[in-house]
Amino acid sequence: MKNTVRQLRELRGLSQRRLGELLGVSRQTINSIETGRYDPSLPLAIAIARYFGSTVEEIFHVD
Amino acid sequence: MSTESATRHRIALALGLAAAITVLVSGGLLLREYGPGNMGNGFLVGGLIAIAVAGLSWWRSTTRPHTATTFERAATLTGDERDDAILTRALAHLGLWALPLTGVAAAAIAVGAPVHMVLALLMFCQLAVVTVAFVVINRRN
Repeated sequence: MKNTVRQLRELRGLSQRRLGELLGVSRQTINSIETGRYDPSLPLAIAIARYFGSTVEEIFHVD
Repeated sequence: MSTESATRHRIALALGLAAAITVLVSGGLLLREYGPGNMGNGFLVGGLIAIAVAGLSWWRSTTRPHTATTFERAATLTGDERDDAILTRALAHLGLWALPLTGVAAAAIAVGAPVHMVLALLMFCQLAVVTVAFVVINRRN
């Protein structure tokens, strides 16, 4: 699943490690989500969307 | 991790460590007395190494979570949802392979292969399966 997490993170000047700390997950998890290798659970997707002040649908795309 | 869950986690780890040491010492002494060759000593050394690695992994994943590896976090149950998913999938692969591997081992024993060697090979094969599965799944996720 494609997403805009990397762009949103870089817009805020955050490192993967810092975003991971803020969301309670590891840097590797953030990296895997950004590269589309790992699809987060619904609670984590919602937490990401809330952090960026957006919605899950706006950040995560099926294609 | 909240203070309450951290305390629960610490208690569970302490109980697990106590159980592991009990099994290690009693099993080691039994094998030294009744087991063939140096099996008792091998069991004790292998067990001590496993406990030391588990302790080191736990220490790294709790004091330095950002430098800990996925395996360290998953093995000490301090990981996030991705670590848990990788560990679960690797263990599922082990479960899938366990039946055919045990079948092959049983057939080998039935045709006269040395039991000790077959059992040791079975254990190493299972360790190899779970290790390879963990590494591959970790790289792909």
